[in-house]
Amino acid sequence: MSSSPPTEKADSRVQTRHVPLFSLGRVLTITSGTVTQLFRMKVFYFLFAFALVMVAAGNFSLPATPAQELSTIKKVSFGTMDLFAWLFSIVATALLIPRDQEDRTLYTILAKPVRRIEYLLGKLGGVLCVVGLSLLVMGTICAITVGFRESLLVSEEIGAMQADGHFAPDEVNQQIDLIRHQGLRPELALVVLAYFFKAAVVAAVTLLLSTIASSSLFTIIVSILVFLIGNAHALATGFWLQESGNSWVVRIVVKVVKVLIPDFQIFAFSEGIVQGEVVPYWLVGEMGLITVGYLLVFLLLSLLVFVDKEF
Amino acid sequence: MKRLFHFVPRLILVLALLAMFGLVREPVEQRMRARLIEANLLLPPPAQTAFEQMSQSAMMGTLGGLRTLVATYLTLEAFDYFSTKSWDALRQTYQIIVDLEPRDESNWVSAIWHLGINATANMEYNDRLPKFERERLFREYAFAGIAFAERGIAQLPDSVAIRLQLAEIYRVKLQDNCATARVYGDTIGRPGALGYVRRFYGYFMARCPGKEREAYDYLISLYREGKQQHLPTLIKEIKNLEVKLSIPDKERIPDPDPDLPRPAPQSQPSTPLPGGIMVP
Repeated sequence: MSSSPPTEKADSRVQTRHVPLFSLGRVLTITSGTVTQLFRMKVFYFLFAFALVMVAAGNFSLPATPAQELSTIKKVSFGTMDLFAWLFSIVATALLIPRDQEDRTLYTILAKPVRRIEYLLGKLGGVLCVVGLSLLVMGTICAITVGFRESLLVSEEIGAMQADGHFAPDEVNQQIDLIRHQGLRPELALVVLAYFFKAAVVAAVTLLLSTIASSSLFTIIVSILVFLIGNAHALATGFWLQESGNSWVVRIVVKVVKVLIPDFQIFAFSEGIVQGEVVPYWLVGEMGLITVGYLLVFLLLSLLVFVDKEF
Repeated sequence: MKRLFHFVPRLILVLALLAMFGLVREPVEQRMRARLIEANLLLPPPAQTAFEQMSQSAMMGTLGGLRTLVATYLTLEAFDYFSTKSWDALRQTYQIIVDLEPRDESNWVSAIWHLGINATANMEYNDRLPKFERERLFREYAFAGIAFAERGIAQLPDSVAIRLQLAEIYRVKLQDNCATARVYGDTIGRPGALGYVRRFYGYFMARCPGKEREAYDYLISLYREGKQQHLPTLIKEIKNLEVKLSIPDKERIPDPDPDLPRPAPQSQPSTPLPGGIMVP
C-alpha cells in the first residue's frame, strides 16, 4: 500500500519524542504563566486598600504611651496584612482553574505533554509567588510606617525627658528601650513568613476544593468557611463541650471536624512575635515543615481528583 | 488503581485519605500548639466568660482568626466609653480585651488606669449623683481596678507597669500607705524597675503605722549607699523618722532639713573699685 512509508515515519517520530515523567521546566513555565495571569487580573489593587488602612492606623489618637501607640499600630497593620494574605490566597486560587477552563487555555495545556501534577504544581506555585510578593510589599509598607513612627516617637520622648531635666541617662535609655521593643525589629520578618505559611496552606486547601467544584463562587465560599472553621475549632472545642455537658455526640462531631479540617489556629503564632516575644527559630522551622506537609498532601489529593477529570 | 477508582467514588476516597492525614497530624499539632503557647507565641484560648460577653460579630471575628484585630477594635470602643464616661461598659469591654490578649501588658495597664484613676476621679466630681452613691461607686471602681491588676499580675508575674499602676490607685485614690509600700516593695528588682521604686518603697513604709522602725533602717541603708541617694525627700523622711523614733543626736544624719530656709551664702568682701567706690 502506498500509505505504509508515511506511517513508519510517524511512528519513528513518536518514538524519538520521549516525554519525561516530570519536568521542572514545564512546572516553571506554568508558574510564570500563572503569575502573569494574576498580574493581568490587576489583583495588586488591594494594596491601595492596605495602604489606606496603614495611613488610618498611623493616625490613631489614643491617650496612650508611645510604646502602647506603636503596639496598636503594629497590631492593626499586621492583622490587616494577615487578613489580606489569606483572603487573597483563597480568591486567587479559586479563580485559576475555572478561568483556564473559560479561556480554553486548560485544553491547550492539557493537550500538550504536560502531566496533570505539573499543571497543579505550576498553578499553586504561581499563586504562592504572587502571595509572597504581595506579603513582601505589605511588609515593606508596614516596616516603613512602624519605623517612621518609632523614630518620631523616640526623638519626641528624648526631647521631653531632656527638657524635664531630672532623668538620669540610664533612665532615658530604659524608656527608649521600652519604645524600641515595640518598634521595628528584625523578628518582624518572621511574622511575614508566618503569614506566608498560613496563606500557602489556605491556597493548597482551595486548590483541592477547586478541583472538586465547578464554579469559582462555590470554591471561594466553601474555602472561606473551611478557613473560619479551621481557625475556630481549636478555640471553640472547649466551649462546645462545656455547653453540651461533654456529650458524646458533640465529641464525635468535634473529632470529625478536627480530623478533616486543617488547624489554621496554630499558624497564628505570629501574634506573639508582633507583641515582642522572643522567637525560638526552631519552632518557626517546624511550622515550616508542617506547612510543607500540608502542601504535599493537599496537592496529592487534588491530583487524585484532577488526574482523569474530563473537561 | 483505576479499578479502585471505579468501585469507590472519588470524593469518598479523598475524604478517607484526608481523615487519615488528620489522624496523623492531630497529635503533632497538639504538641506544637503546647510548645507555641509555652513560648508565648500563641495565645491560650480565651475564657468561656469572654465568649459569653462578646457581641456576635466580635465572637465571629475572634473565631475567624482575627483575634488581634478584634481586640484592637474593642480598645477603640473602650476609648469611646471613656469619652462618654460609660464606666461599666468600659469595664466589660476591657474584660473581653484582656481575655483576648492576656499577654499584652498595655491592655492591663489601660484597664487599671481607666477604672482605678479615671472612673474614680469622675465619681469624686460627679455632682449629678448623691454623695453616698458617689462614694460607693468610687470604691467599687477603685477595687475593680485593683482586681484587674491582680489578674494582670497573675498573668504577667514580672510586670512592673501593672504594679506601678496598682500602686497609683492605693497611693492617690485609696491613700493606703501600707498597701502602696507593699506594691512598691514587690516591684523592686523586677526587670525594668526604675531606681525611684526603691526610694518610694521606703517613703510609703515610713508613713505606714507600725512600720516606722523598719522604714528608718531601710532609708538609712539607702542613704549610706552614697551621694546619689541624698535626695531632699529621702533626707526629709529620715529626719521625720529621727524625730518620731527619738533617734539620739549623734546617730542622726548631718544634712540640714530640706524644708528649712538655707542660710544665705557668706558674701565675699567687695574689692573697692578705683576711686574708692564699693560695690554692694
